Amino acid sequence: MPNIEDYEAMTKISLSEDEKTIVSGYMNMLLDSFKKLEDTDVSGVVPLISVLDVKSPMRDDVAIKTISREELLSNAPEQHDGYFQVPRTVD
Amino acid sequence: MGIFIEDYNVSGADTVALEDSIMQKGKQVTAGSKILDNFVSPFNATVVDRLLDGGFKISGRTVMDEFGLLKLSHDDNNTPSGAVRAVSEGISAYALCNDLFGRYREEAPQYDCCYIHPTYGTVSRYGLIPLASSLDQIGIVCRDLSQGFGLLSHLAGKDPKDGAMFPDSKYCYGKTDEKITLGIPRSVIEKADADTRESIMDFINKFSSTDIDLEYFDLYSQVMYILSSAEISNNLSRYDGIKFGYRASGYTDIDDLYTKTRSEGFGLDAKLTAIMGAVVLSKDHYGPYYEKAMKIRRLIKESINFDTYDVIVLPCKISDDPYENLALYSLAPLAGLPSVSFSYKGYGIQLVAGVKKENLLLSTWEVSMA
Repeated sequence: MPNIEDYEAMTKISLSEDEKTIVSGYMNMLLDSFKKLEDTDVSGVVPLISVLDVKSPMRDDVAIKTISREELLSNAPEQHDGYFQVPRTVD
Repeated sequence: MGIFIEDYNVSGADTVALEDSIMQKGKQVTAGSKILDNFVSPFNATVVDRLLDGGFKISGRTVMDEFGLLKLSHDDNNTPSGAVRAVSEGISAYALCNDLFGRYREEAPQYDCCYIHPTYGTVSRYGLIPLASSLDQIGIVCRDLSQGFGLLSHLAGKDPKDGAMFPDSKYCYGKTDEKITLGIPRSVIEKADADTRESIMDFINKFSSTDIDLEYFDLYSQVMYILSSAEISNNLSRYDGIKFGYRASGYTDIDDLYTKTRSEGFGLDAKLTAIMGAVVLSKDHYGPYYEKAMKIRRLIKESINFDTYDVIVLPCKISDDPYENLALYSLAPLAGLPSVSFSYKGYGIQLVAGVKKENLLLSTWEVSMA
């Protein structure tokens, strides 16, 4: 059983004790059900990443404006002088 | 719980409700999550532009489960979704949603509605808050499939803003004169309750049919959950309190900002899915889970060939356990196939057809309703 605290750190989520109990329970159930995959022979099978058999479309390499700075910042929790404001990230 | 988060108080045969995961410029959109508190969309989803161009009116934003995630608990299963209620109660003629885990396909027939899940890559997802990008597809709740397909013809078609689409610029959905043969997976239908089985057998008798075996059916739920949780976990990583949405207060540093924001902003289903996605993508589990699921996904897709049948018939429920039921709704997104669900003599039936074969679904439904 994976260490739930490791995955909390990885996903930047901190569970309460009650949540930890519930999530651990579901995690056990799901991982147990995933054991069913073990018996399936996939030798020589290429993973399917997309069901579409089409190539990603490319556009011309020309700069275009799709959204203004004001629109991009309009939902920012905190902004300053046209930038997203965040706590210090570098010591 | 109400139907709408925001009711625009319009009525008529041309009204379309939007699940709160489809963006409208200048309107709040939250995907049912606190983490998108106060987020106002800076643009319209392509489907919204096409609705408005087609003369349809948006009736409101419907209540939804957080991000449309699979609820593994059995709680709350009796409360119909906002989208289905809006159509069922005659408030809106149609509703648009992303039915990744089958909630709408299961519910619609219970409330005398139908659901259309289009072929992956035919309806633009630009402006849809993403869940699992290789599986997401906007679909339609409607009262009548012929009307629903009429709406779909306005929405479907190539969009340069969605990089995963077929090149067709338009789709026309109409009846076909082809003789339709149903594919009957008896081992799946036998899992449904007696009344549903009887209804399905009555339905089947109107058509030619052949027995089929859905070879990997017992793995559908697992493959669907593994692949979707991985993609969802990745898509949820953008919610960090930096550029939009909810930001916690009282943080000490950037790491604490991320953790407090996500812990306070996400509900339990989002936290579980984010964590499970990280588990299946982690170094020790990537091979046996995620990579293996991708390979089985290919086996699933290739096992459905529509050579001797045109449309697969499935029940809409085989269990009260949402995880077990997920198997019924996984084939369409895993293989990129279209499906519809509707009520036949009071019981839900689901049909699945080949890629871009929505006409066969419509024709099958029309024959059954005659």
